[in-house]
Amino acid sequence: MGDSLMTIIAIVLAAILMFVFPLMSMSDRTDDISQLTVKTATTEFVDKVRTTGRLSIDDYAAFEQEIAATGNTYDIEMEAKILDENPGKKTTQASSTRIGENVSYSMYTSQILDILSSNNEGTSKVLALKEGDMFSTSVRNTNTTLSQQLKNFFYTVAGNDTYTIAAEHGGYVTANGSGN
Amino acid sequence: MMKYQYLAVIFVIIMLPISLVFSAYINAQVDTLDLQISYDTKLDNTTYDAIKAFQLNTVNSSTSDIVNSKIKDIEAAANSFFTSLANNFKMEGYNSETLQEFVPALVFTLYDGFYIYSPFENTLDDETKSKLPANATYTGGEEVTGLKPYIYYSCRYVKGSMDVTITYSLDNYITIQGYDQNGKGINDAGYVLDDSLLYNSTTGEVRYRGITITSELQLREYVGDTEYAYVKINGVKYYRNANTNTWFTITNGKINQVATPFRNEDNDMGYRYYKEAYEFKERLKNYGITNLRSSDAVGVQEVQDVDGNIIYSFVDSDNKIFDFNKIEEPDSNFNNHRMAVIRYVIESNLSIALSNYNNYGTGTYEFRMPKLAEEDWARILDNVCLVSFLQGLSIGGKIYNGYSVINNNKNEEVVTENAIYIVENARIKNSTYHRVTHKGLENMVNTTTSRGVFNIDFERKSIGSTTSETTWYFYPHWDLGCYTCYVAQTNTENSINNIYEYLDGLSNKTLAKLYYTALGRERYSMYKVFRNPEEHVNAFKE
Repeated sequence: MGDSLMTIIAIVLAAILMFVFPLMSMSDRTDDISQLTVKTATTEFVDKVRTTGRLSIDDYAAFEQEIAATGNTYDIEMEAKILDENPGKKTTQASSTRIGENVSYSMYTSQILDILSSNNEGTSKVLALKEGDMFSTSVRNTNTTLSQQLKNFFYTVAGNDTYTIAAEHGGYVTANGSGN
Repeated sequence: MMKYQYLAVIFVIIMLPISLVFSAYINAQVDTLDLQISYDTKLDNTTYDAIKAFQLNTVNSSTSDIVNSKIKDIEAAANSFFTSLANNFKMEGYNSETLQEFVPALVFTLYDGFYIYSPFENTLDDETKSKLPANATYTGGEEVTGLKPYIYYSCRYVKGSMDVTITYSLDNYITIQGYDQNGKGINDAGYVLDDSLLYNSTTGEVRYRGITITSELQLREYVGDTEYAYVKINGVKYYRNANTNTWFTITNGKINQVATPFRNEDNDMGYRYYKEAYEFKERLKNYGITNLRSSDAVGVQEVQDVDGNIIYSFVDSDNKIFDFNKIEEPDSNFNNHRMAVIRYVIESNLSIALSNYNNYGTGTYEFRMPKLAEEDWARILDNVCLVSFLQGLSIGGKIYNGYSVINNNKNEEVVTENAIYIVENARIKNSTYHRVTHKGLENMVNTTTSRGVFNIDFERKSIGSTTSETTWYFYPHWDLGCYTCYVAQTNTENSINNIYEYLDGLSNKTLAKLYYTALGRERYSMYKVFRNPEEHVNAFKE
């Protein structure tokens, strides 16, 4: 009786060591690679918007496709901070020794996607930004990756709502993106 | 009984090092790629800083278009590039000389040519050497880093007895030097414009794209908080003090009086632009230049893209370069040819500069020119810009080799098609200005009160007080940017590539007239090397 219990424990231990350990190690590497892909894609996507001043629905779709190719699902959050120099201008006009402050206001993912995907005739599918605006994007995975599942199962350190793959990038737009 | 455990332990002993090494390897690769993308971004930021420095210096200077002043501004921009490079790459403390080792070239593309900032050997002739004082700061044969001579976007053409060199620019302005079809010398310059441009020498009427171009009311602008009438001639603005009928300019932030007053009259710069373009076309016909085809170009073969596909072949394509039908529109033969010439000139000179760089570098790394992507070329050919190269930095597994292209959208070098904004009512203080592509703008403007304005005239400027150390800031135009087309571009036609086609397509021609007049006026008012500045300015005096 004691022997067979020990055997079962031994088999379970051996199974964990021989099967789960390599699996966890491999799935961790997979996440590393996904992380790299997502980070590279995000940086390239944002830098393209920054240096051209234009975000088209094609660019966005290509970006979505590239990160989806890692086999995970992602939540993409974009933010465009639109520079408004008009308030600063008024300050200087009122008192010519002062440089006024500029104001910027934000457009978030849903508003940006609204502009990009509007299908009505005559409306554009390009978000045009100008020099001085800021554009940033953050990406994180929404599914639970294999490595997360295994970790949750064995040492339950990772809560259900955490993510392991995330990338962020942003900066000033350096070009005027409008056709005119 | 224990053999399962033994097996497992042995398995783990074998697997653990493999897994560790594998993980370390992957991490190293990740770090390398990580560094590479972060360097790309940092290089973009550094290049933008240099462009920003160039903008600040040129927007606040009325002499920025004169060559020696321009060189000074460009050298200042190059210095800010190296300062910013040191900050961005955490190399504070290194002086620019150390950093120059990693920067094989900076390319400043300008209106009709470009500068390369790179190392070269300072060769002095015997006479100069013999005259050098003993304590001279430079010697012959020394390696220095600086601006090399200006290179024009030019191309030579030979056809029969015609032998000319045409210098192109970022817009439709060309300079021609050489011999015409009858072997007579030519030295001429002007704008080439569409066939629809007509000039009636008896009535003086100018029509362009079906629109009669006339003089417009005197331009007005603020200096400090007073509004003055002004005229911009050869890149310099002359303001009129109405009380005394005297004219003044602002040079380096100080007011200078002009001796002879200018004629106090309507602004006809736009009119002159079109009229002179018409006369230029007639002259081109007489020279026989209009018969030139791309295959007449000498010493150029083809332009290739990154993958080695031929984009433009000078030899095979037999296009008539000066086919005046829609010549200024983006896809005309002229524009394709012009861009191919510019690209060819930049590419060939740059690759020489970069390959020579290996002779100067102290490192063991052999530098190779990275291939520029098509979209980067499109930006280089579109506006004044800075192309920077960075190489030789170790990023883990490999050596970094990257480049960055950043446009300069606010400059006095070139008036691009999208540099003109339309002010709704130029007669009131706080009107609104719009982009030309604002939807429905044609119905919001009229030819009596609305006006097209060059975009840098909306930028903040400064002027020094004559009595104290105070600096006064002012905006030449008090108008505010429209929220739906200038600040955020939510109500604009964003997919327009050809502004001429767009304006021609509108049934209401008011906007087209305002735009074409302003575009012509600003292009004509620009500083041109070809003109005799004194004669040109005197033509507008009383």
